[in-house]
Amino acid sequence: MYVYLYDNFLRQKKYENVVKAIEIRLTDFGIAGKILRLNNYTDVKEIIEDEIKRGAKTVVIVGDNKTFGHVLSRSATCNVVFGFLPIGKDNSIAGVLGLPVGVDACDVLSRRKREKLDIGWMNNRYFVSQLHVMPSDIEVSYDERFKVTSKDKTELVVCNLQPFYWNKSKKEDDFVVHPQDGKLEAFLRPLTKKKWWGYNYEDPSVFPFEEMVVKSRSPFVVEADGKRSKEIKIKIKLASGKIDMVVGRDRRF
Amino acid sequence: MIFQKPSADIALDKSEIEEPKIYETPQADEVDTVVGLSVNVEGDFASEGNIIVKGSVSGSVHTSKHLLVEPGARIMANVDTGSATISGTIKGNLRVKESLELTASAIVLGDIKVKVLKVEAGALLQGKIVMKVPEKEMRLEDNKKSKKKSIGSRAEKGDQ
Repeated sequence: MYVYLYDNFLRQKKYENVVKAIEIRLTDFGIAGKILRLNNYTDVKEIIEDEIKRGAKTVVIVGDNKTFGHVLSRSATCNVVFGFLPIGKDNSIAGVLGLPVGVDACDVLSRRKREKLDIGWMNNRYFVSQLHVMPSDIEVSYDERFKVTSKDKTELVVCNLQPFYWNKSKKEDDFVVHPQDGKLEAFLRPLTKKKWWGYNYEDPSVFPFEEMVVKSRSPFVVEADGKRSKEIKIKIKLASGKIDMVVGRDRRF
Repeated sequence: MIFQKPSADIALDKSEIEEPKIYETPQADEVDTVVGLSVNVEGDFASEGNIIVKGSVSGSVHTSKHLLVEPGARIMANVDTGSATISGTIKGNLRVKESLELTASAIVLGDIKVKVLKVEAGALLQGKIVMKVPEKEMRLEDNKKSKKKSIGSRAEKGDQ
């Protein structure tokens, strides 16, 4: 049985046609199911667990990158197969998973090609795509073996599903982060040369790792899959093969 | 010809069949570890893939793949690697399984144990170099030593 979780932004008129076309296509494939709408007050994990008790085998997220991160970071521990129907502009994760944006994603969903994906864990919560630490005076220890420091502030991005592009000019051939390699990738970018207009960013350092601790004397801002918090110390670990996901043939791993 | 007799060649026209794309799964050892310019690494620094050092590292460095030390980079550590290209400064012992290349700006203050060594003019090296002798040469050396011993022992018996 399929359950579809629609993001709130799909209520807008401009997505009406796409949503209708998707629902028709799903019916044609025989994989239409229960539709539930998410909003700011819904507890995603509770909803999914209720549906699993009622017999749901596949939970399909319908939305964009934010919807994807929001749902999976809260329900990674649920024992169910996840699918994704990307709609809208902000859908870079869809390309990594080999899913076309829009109606054509239904074809991929019907084929049901499954893969186990790694997921990151930070201070009692999961993150699927990225974890971002804003420029701060941080000290990073990797796998309890070595530590990395910099002269001034450092910005840190931990990637699981897709790399982080600081400049808008994305060079897609540069780096592909693999969600099944048993490692998370950390991109560290120190700030240097304080000039009158601000800091200069250096080229990023790259460290693949399984476990990392980030510490600082003062609280720093952490954003994980869209959720922001302030921490003094965070422990980041890899949860290997945690998510059972329907992916496409053109996936980038 | 518009109408053609059906033949095995037409039926099995492979040009129309899409071959499934085979995605090789990149493993963790294919991801490069990069230590940036103003980054300092302390401790037991190990990686399964290639390592590129532009900043500074102290402690120990280990990889089974390739180590690249860029000009201006400093490593105050013992290094154990599959192969290496050094253009910066290393203060410590180097153990390289395959080949080691020292470029003109390389400074190595420590002992080197390597199989194949390439040194550019201008590289600075202060330490002992130990290279693996090929097996054929080792056997010849052993034979020479055993011959010398046997000649020596016969000479002693003759004197007696």
